[in-house]
Amino acid sequence: MKEVFVNIGEIQVLKQRGRLVAVGLGSCVGLILYDALAKVGGMAHVFLPTNKRGGANEHPGKFADTAILAMVEQMTSLGAQKRRLTAKMAGGSQLFSYGAPFMDVGRQNVEALQRELQAAGIPLAGSDVLGSRGRKLIFDVATGQVLVFVIGEDPVEL
Amino acid sequence: MTYDSKGNEFKLDMLKELGNIGAGHATTALSKLLGNKKLTLVVPEAVIVGMQESMRLCGGPESLVGATYIRVSGGLCGHMALLLPYESVQSLLGYLLGAAPQDLSDMELSTLQEVGNIVVTSYLNALADMTHTELYPSVPAVAVDMAAAVWSSILAGAEVADYITIVQTAFQTDAEIIDGTIAFIPDEEDLSKLLDALGMGEL
Repeated sequence: MKEVFVNIGEIQVLKQRGRLVAVGLGSCVGLILYDALAKVGGMAHVFLPTNKRGGANEHPGKFADTAILAMVEQMTSLGAQKRRLTAKMAGGSQLFSYGAPFMDVGRQNVEALQRELQAAGIPLAGSDVLGSRGRKLIFDVATGQVLVFVIGEDPVEL
Repeated sequence: MTYDSKGNEFKLDMLKELGNIGAGHATTALSKLLGNKKLTLVVPEAVIVGMQESMRLCGGPESLVGATYIRVSGGLCGHMALLLPYESVQSLLGYLLGAAPQDLSDMELSTLQEVGNIVVTSYLNALADMTHTELYPSVPAVAVDMAAAVWSSILAGAEVADYITIVQTAFQTDAEIIDGTIAFIPDEEDLSKLLDALGMGEL
């Protein structure tokens, strides 16, 4: 089966068959959008809530406030309809213990994506977010099945 | 900033040398912790890489690593991390605590944190001396998880741009299986300050 890895900041979309995989989600969030009828699925590997540095943004998938719109565009060009889309997401954890206030990025990513989904009118059908563990996310576009893996634990279906 | 100029190459050479000296001090400190075991520095590198490429520096994306992270402020802001494969974490803790642990409790984590603290601050002391700047390390944070998740969380905390300057030095011991990587990510805005401090700003 075709397996496409979604690296940090990327958006990947597939139609009919294949798997989308995001490895090593720490504070990053893997966001999935799916049109179950058209069997068009997409995944973004979101790194930060927004592009604070400013300047040109060549990777809309990198930021929570640009990922959704860009992914919806790519999916509709494959035959998906925006009103049929549902979302799932995993990640946004805080791996580091002891201090370090910067470590709140995960929560910020999750909250930003929740806001953006609401603004786009896309319902969130499932999520496994926050906590202190790294995750791997696998999305089967043919069946819509979403699995979340954590080291040393059984996979969880979203 | 362009990433392919001759001047840039020269800067990277300079950073590599800094990394070598900093890591030299850091591994000396680690060697003392380990009863003067011989530690060898391998492949000092200073590179400007994309985020995905930088993932390769931390080993296999799904392999288990222990990491200590320290944010550096003062004259030269940046981010430092000590990354150890899990086997090395176990060897290290086994040596320091008497028995190699199966799971990491608070005791093991805070030992790992302290090792990281000693190693990274030794590196920073050398860097501060060389650049005649004051450098202040944050409280060290510690994590044990998938390499890619740990590394990307550090990069996200650093809010890096698409290209990252990383000074990294790998080290290993001859006798025991303790190897690892010390990575330094200077903030881009401060990189020219660093080179100024070394009298290299006018390249």
